[in-house]
Amino acid sequence: MNEAVIATIRERVQRIEAMPAIPAVFLPLLKLLGNSSEDIPVEQVVQLVSYDNSIAAQCMRVASSPLFGLASSPKSIKSAVISLGLRRVETILLTCCLGQAFPAKKWALDPTVFWRHSMGCALVCRKFSEKLGHGVDSEKAYMAGLLHDIGFMVNCMSFSDEFEVAMKRALQEEISLDAAELATMGFTHCDTGRALAEKWNLAKELVEVIAHHHGVEDSQSDQSLVALVHLGDLLCRMRGLGYGYYERQRVDLISDPAWAVLLAAQPELGDMDLVRFTFELDEAVEEIHAVVSAVLGPTPART
Amino acid sequence: MITAAQTAMTPPGTQSKETVDPVYRQIRDLVYKVSGIYKAEEKLYLLADGCGRRMKQVNARSPRDYWDHLTAHPSRDGELRQLLNEITIGETYLFRSPPQLDALRKVILPELVAEKTKQITKRLRIWSAGCSTGEEPYTLAMNLLEESDRLLKGWTIEILATDLNDRSVETAKAGIYGDYALRSTTDYFKRKYFSAVDQKKLEVRPEVKKLITFSRLNLQDDAKMLFMKGMDLIFCCNVLIYFDGPSKSKVISHFFSDLNFGGYFFLGTSESLVKLNEQFHLVHFPGTIAYWKPSLTSGKL
Repeated sequence: MNEAVIATIRERVQRIEAMPAIPAVFLPLLKLLGNSSEDIPVEQVVQLVSYDNSIAAQCMRVASSPLFGLASSPKSIKSAVISLGLRRVETILLTCCLGQAFPAKKWALDPTVFWRHSMGCALVCRKFSEKLGHGVDSEKAYMAGLLHDIGFMVNCMSFSDEFEVAMKRALQEEISLDAAELATMGFTHCDTGRALAEKWNLAKELVEVIAHHHGVEDSQSDQSLVALVHLGDLLCRMRGLGYGYYERQRVDLISDPAWAVLLAAQPELGDMDLVRFTFELDEAVEEIHAVVSAVLGPTPART
Repeated sequence: MITAAQTAMTPPGTQSKETVDPVYRQIRDLVYKVSGIYKAEEKLYLLADGCGRRMKQVNARSPRDYWDHLTAHPSRDGELRQLLNEITIGETYLFRSPPQLDALRKVILPELVAEKTKQITKRLRIWSAGCSTGEEPYTLAMNLLEESDRLLKGWTIEILATDLNDRSVETAKAGIYGDYALRSTTDYFKRKYFSAVDQKKLEVRPEVKKLITFSRLNLQDDAKMLFMKGMDLIFCCNVLIYFDGPSKSKVISHFFSDLNFGGYFFLGTSESLVKLNEQFHLVHFPGTIAYWKPSLTSGKL
């Protein structure tokens, strides 16, 4: 990619600031939740979220939805955490925050489909890392999965015309979105995502994931995490949590270079029953569809 | 302070299913270990229903009691087989697995056609192993016929359909189906590839039947299995679940050698080989998995 393209991406990403504001609680929240898998300070999370009435209200609305089957609606973020568990509330909170940052206007990529994929990838990455023992922190894996594709949001908002062409091409030829982006725009959501991640000062490992989840070999650090997200992303796209269209491809996860990277760091991977893991992922699909619909409202999906 | 560890939770989306007796999860895991069939969380009720019917038959008083029937009684092997019968019943109908058919038409056929055109062979050989009453081979034949003016123009298609049961093979040859077997068949396919027998039944047209050779075959007959060479695709759904580990392993080795390089082996949609064969590559297509015998040019053998 030449300097001029990089400069254009940076310049347009800078302009995102003028767009609907990123909720002030988002970045501190991300930092708190990504802290450590065992000792997330729930009191601080609750306090932080209470500063933002609209996020807190949206979170309560989602937590009260029939999906979660609570006997009575939670009256506060804290009671939601106690009744639903931190993990579920965390998913709701982050999705609400990002949903507000990038409102579902007329996107080339259906936001419902986008969030299903991001949440699916987050859950898969967490589950994957849990199976692998202590090599990759499961909360970091979750964040990395949730945010890996933020470049698509940049594309939708700052490169809407160019990205629409890429999206059309992907749909028509049933090829992967990154291949279509590269063919039509000359850069991908990895490049635009990286610019946004750097602007937001996201943690270094998240920047690596966002920039290199389609080319693990190019990552300079945190390769295990990048490889994990790469595999989680592929698996989601093969199990009904892709971008809302049929991708004509055969995916051989075990022969993928990312598998070798992860296997070298995590020998337990060799004993994993990937088919059963795939079937277990299917169990989460319905839940993901429901949470995303509850957060965004019932937006019809593309497919 | 409350910590994340203290708020550890059950998997999401399980509220309505929490009423399912935890013993059924143990039974689900046992069924998976023995047969490779996986009943997902949202389908546990189907497993529970199947167990319920068997519990009446064997007079088991509770799911826990039935667990003992499956694991500790002298008749446990037979009982597990009966349970497998219960949970796979009604799974034979036409167009049962759209993701497998999509993978076939959108990914595999273009790939096989490109590969074979290089070798100047315009012939596809497909084997439906354990074809039961014929729903699967007819579905495959109709889908391949759809490509006969495009991708498969000028190609010879041979579908071999075998089953252990003589009566099933005879029913398959007749190719006459009612509403139940046709519940997922679209009007387009019904009009194009069937003719009416009476008000309730449709018969597969001769141009579909002529692509298929039906015969009786025992997959454990080693001598016969050695002759099933040159296959491009093998489908074997819900058949191996009844085999014990060593027999299953042997049949799968036969399948591997019967397939051409670059060929694919499909199981049922919720079925797994559970590491029975390391030579096959597990591959994913949208919504389905398959086992691939790497092509010679892929360098992955």
